[in-house]
Amino acid sequence: MTYTSFLVSEFLLLWRRKQDVINALLFFVIVVTLFPLGVSSSAEFLAPAAGGIIWCAAVLAIMMAVEGMFKEDFRDGSLEQWVVSGLSLPILVLLKVVAQWLVVIVPLLAMMPILSEMLYLSDASFWVLIMTFLLGTPSLFLIGVIGAALTVSLRQGAMLVMLLILPFYLPVIIFSTLAIQAADAGLPYSGQLALLLAMSLLSLILSPFMAAIAIKASAG
Amino acid sequence: MRILGENGAGKSSLLKVIVGVISPLEGTIVYSGEDVTLDRAPLLQDAIYIGHSVGVKSLLTVAENIRRYCPTVSPEALSAVLKKLDLLDHMNAFASTLSAGQLRRVALARLWLTDKTLWLLDEPFAALDSTAIALLEERIRLHVSSGGLVVLTTHQALRSLPCRDVALMS
Repeated sequence: MTYTSFLVSEFLLLWRRKQDVINALLFFVIVVTLFPLGVSSSAEFLAPAAGGIIWCAAVLAIMMAVEGMFKEDFRDGSLEQWVVSGLSLPILVLLKVVAQWLVVIVPLLAMMPILSEMLYLSDASFWVLIMTFLLGTPSLFLIGVIGAALTVSLRQGAMLVMLLILPFYLPVIIFSTLAIQAADAGLPYSGQLALLLAMSLLSLILSPFMAAIAIKASAG
Repeated sequence: MRILGENGAGKSSLLKVIVGVISPLEGTIVYSGEDVTLDRAPLLQDAIYIGHSVGVKSLLTVAENIRRYCPTVSPEALSAVLKKLDLLDHMNAFASTLSAGQLRRVALARLWLTDKTLWLLDEPFAALDSTAIALLEERIRLHVSSGGLVVLTTHQALRSLPCRDVALMS
C-alpha cells in the first residue's frame, strides 16, 4: 500500500458510498428549511439568525458524516492493515479526513447560495459565512476523527462520539456565528476568522496523532 | 514456521504482537539482530501480515482491492494471478458478492505479487478449497526455497510443506 493508492481507494469508496454523504446533506437542508416553516418566515427573524441556523445544521450533518468514519475499516480488517503497512498512521488518518472533508464540504458550499437566499442573509455576510466554513469546518472534521477513532470498536458508539466531541465544537460554532453577526453589523470580523483558522491549524497538528494512537489501541 | 495451539491459546495474538497491532505485555521482539519492540518499522518494511479479517473492501472490485495493496502491479501480472486463483471472471465484481473462500483468495493474491520476505499468515487455509490449499502450499514452498520466511498458524495438516512447529501452551 502507498499513500497514493490509499487515497485513490478512499475516494472510490466515498463515491460508492455516496448515499451516506447525500443523507447527511439532505439532513442539513431539511433542518435549515424547517426554521422558516416552523418559527417565522419574516426577514426580521431570519436575517439575524441565518448564520446560526446554517452553522448548527452543518455541525449536526458533519457529526453524522464523521461519527462512523472508521467503522467499516475496523470490521473488514483494514485498520490492522494500516497499522502493519509500514506507512505513517497519522498521515493515513489525515488523508482520509481530507478526502471526507472535500466530499462533504464541496456540495455543502454549493447549496449555500440557495439556503442563504432563503434565510435573507445579506450579500456581505454571505461571503463571511463561506469564509467561516472554509476556515472552521476542517477543525470540526479533525476533532470528530479523534472521537470516531476512540469509539471505533464500540458497537453503540454514536452517542458517545457526540458527547465526546460536541464540547470541542462549541468554540467553532460560537466564533463562526460571531463573525457573521459582526459582518451583519458592519463591524470588523477578522479576529473571529483568525481564531477559527487557529483552531483548525491546532487540530491539524494534534488530531492525526491522537487519532492514530486511538486507532492503534482499537485495532488490537 | 508453524504455530500450533488450541483455540484460544494465543496464536493470532502472537502474530499480532509480532507485527505490532497489539503491544506485548513483556519481552522483546528481535528482528535480524535488532530490537524492534518499540519501533516495528524495520520489520514492517519486509513483512506482509494477513489476519483473520482480511482487509478486503466490500465496495471495491477484486482488481481495485489488489491494486490498493500492490499499486505497481501490471495488468498482465494481475490477470495472471487472478487466473491462477480462479478469480479472473470476478475481476470486476464487487468483493461483497464473493464467498468467504474467494475473499481469502483475493487477500492472498498479494503473496504472488510481492517481494517482501517475511510473511505472517493467520489461518491462511481457512475457508479455502483443496485446489487453493495446494496452490498456497506451493507458493509458500517456493517462497521459503528462495530464502523467505513464513510464520503461519493453522489447524490443518500441511501435506507438502516441511516446517518447524512451535506449540503454544494455554
